Amino acid sequence: MKPIYLDYAATSPLRPEVREAMEPFLSDGFGNPASVHRWGRDAGRALEDAREEVGESLGVPPAEVFFVRGGTEGDNLAVLGRIRSRLRAGAPAHLVISSIEHSAVREAAAQAGREGARVDTIPVDARGMPDWEVLEAALESGADLVSVMWVNNETGLVLPIEEVGERCRHYGVPFHTDAVQALGRMAVDLKSFPAELATFSAHKVGGPKSVGVLVAREGVELEPLHFGGGQEGGLRPGTPDVAGAVGAARAVRLAVDEGSSRDHVRRLRDLLEEGLRSRIPDLRIHGGEGPRAPHISNLGFPGVDASTLIVSLDLNGVAVSRGSACASGTEGASPVLRALYGPEALDYAPVRFSLSPATPEEEVREAVTRTVETLERVRAMEVGA
Amino acid sequence: MSRILVAMSGGVDSSLAAALLVEEGHEVIGVTMKTFCYQDTPSHSKTCCGLDGIRDARRVADLLGIPHYVFDVEEDFTRDVVDDFVGEYAQGRTPNPCVRCNSNTKFRDLLRRGKAFGCQGIASGHYARVRRNESGEAALLRGRDRKKDQSYFLWGLPGEVLDVLHLPVGHLSKDDVRRRAEELDLPTAGKAESQEICFVPTGDYRDLLSRHLPQRHPALEPGPIVTSDGRTVGEHNGYAGFTVGQRKGLGGGFSEPHFVLEVRPDTREVVVGTKDELEADALEAEEMNWLSVPPDPAENIEVQIRHRAPSVPGTVRSVAPMLEIGFHRPQRAPTPGQSAVVYRGEQLLGGGRISRAWSNAGREQAPSA
Repeated sequence: MKPIYLDYAATSPLRPEVREAMEPFLSDGFGNPASVHRWGRDAGRALEDAREEVGESLGVPPAEVFFVRGGTEGDNLAVLGRIRSRLRAGAPAHLVISSIEHSAVREAAAQAGREGARVDTIPVDARGMPDWEVLEAALESGADLVSVMWVNNETGLVLPIEEVGERCRHYGVPFHTDAVQALGRMAVDLKSFPAELATFSAHKVGGPKSVGVLVAREGVELEPLHFGGGQEGGLRPGTPDVAGAVGAARAVRLAVDEGSSRDHVRRLRDLLEEGLRSRIPDLRIHGGEGPRAPHISNLGFPGVDASTLIVSLDLNGVAVSRGSACASGTEGASPVLRALYGPEALDYAPVRFSLSPATPEEEVREAVTRTVETLERVRAMEVGA
Repeated sequence: MSRILVAMSGGVDSSLAAALLVEEGHEVIGVTMKTFCYQDTPSHSKTCCGLDGIRDARRVADLLGIPHYVFDVEEDFTRDVVDDFVGEYAQGRTPNPCVRCNSNTKFRDLLRRGKAFGCQGIASGHYARVRRNESGEAALLRGRDRKKDQSYFLWGLPGEVLDVLHLPVGHLSKDDVRRRAEELDLPTAGKAESQEICFVPTGDYRDLLSRHLPQRHPALEPGPIVTSDGRTVGEHNGYAGFTVGQRKGLGGGFSEPHFVLEVRPDTREVVVGTKDELEADALEAEEMNWLSVPPDPAENIEVQIRHRAPSVPGTVRSVAPMLEIGFHRPQRAPTPGQSAVVYRGEQLLGGGRISRAWSNAGREQAPSA
């Protein structure tokens, strides 16, 4: 039985075009961009070309593109970097995040709190709508950073970040969005977008792992998290991963250019959900109440244990996850589902299916068949035990 | 060949158990159960169920080419094992959490998930054996290596667990296990034995009790040390620190060695007496479980009342409403909370949790409930 990979929100394989673009810098083009000689200059040129490619793709000047070591680092740098720059100046710091952020923002906010910042959390309802009153109150009381994700990584819920950004702008408060799951799944153009900070990750869209991009618009003051040779404008010192940056740039460009594939992915997702729903009437679609990005389908299966179901699916050749690969192994509903659905979230075993434009339609159909079979067996055992 | 779910703690025994099943041609799936909150335990802890254990189990599974999963059973484990452990000490008894876990948590979970995964069998690295007759009936036997035998901890297994259980290392000695593990290059071959209770890696169970019991709980407050004839001879710093048969911590001043005879939670008294007073002819046990037909009262069976103690001749006098066992010769300090396990030769027949013991001379060790 050929296993079917439906966990593209966790990570994706390197695209052949990306690998091809990276290859020269894994061999002859190995130079350090900081070196003066030709090896260094060649590497430096590639790095700056990559920066321009990212800037063009996202609609920002290259000087506002910073290569970082992945999405988590980008989120940490945006949140903690901003808060620490306030604290270092001896000023009070006030951070506002949504209740359904990725752990990279949530835990960075917790750290900001330990370091003395005030941290407010804006509740988000099952439609992805933030509590505007809470946001307004926080903005009015003088926030230093608002961080609200674009697309929720567990449910695919799309948050109205343009409006969040506009409101922040009205108060002159910098706005950060974790756009890791939005890239390639939403139309991302930051040119006139009301966000001062945005985080992207390459490996979710066929790029290399451990490479991310933090877009920091001019004028936002960030304290670096690392100290060293001053690379990336001093924001992320350390010898740059040139091959990674080149690969990330190519992956970002492909993701942005291939906007038409989003409709195809949405059709695949609908096929999956309709197939499962017709066989499992009490299935719940987490995030189904609001607008969703096309690639994620977080389904709630009643009456079973999520980890048993996910392992059974793995054994039956369907690779999915519990909602966030970063939280795998923990039982019970995730903080995100609890924030969205309250204690009721515990009644449904959450399983996240996530698709790629490259997923063949017959794999989706086969996954439906295998999932239904697996669920029936797991349910029978849960009742029997 | 069948599909078998094996519990892998990350220790050498369960590692080899998995390896032997693979060798026999089974389709093996490894699982490690996370039983308690690892944030509470010091890093580099030596206990086999810690995070190190999970990583080691995964590395063994990688080597064997089998899938491995981690299941978080902390909620069940806390309720069934840790809370029971604390509650037993609060009642002046001496619990055996490994028995409790095997009876209520680990194997039930393994069985339930195994069925869901389409497994025909489940397995662990315990030193005990399962014998099946032609009609498929299973019997639990002691491990062949008597020094390592762990059948004592398995008397509470549900019958449906025993029916599908495999214990691949039960016919080996510890030396064999280590040697085979080394031959197979298992990364856990040289790993130290875990002796402590997995959720008390430091061995300091009083610390755990003080975190789980309400403040100023009598079990951790000072109380009188009294003799069996009612004389107060000293003070102790909390009866939870005392177990029947214990000599340590009673202070000196006795003409002959004194031992704990009984713990009385209602008065916080720790009752002490001489070696002779510790002896019991009979005991009663609750929560009994039978893995075979209970023996006839006329049959001479053997009873084991603590891990690493020899089993001694006796009879099962009654199985209703409680398990009552008589010893042929008086036994030292049957301890409430520990297990009384009944054997016929190599075969484990059943057991129960000791609630009280007494001697025909008339003195009871624990108040009848």
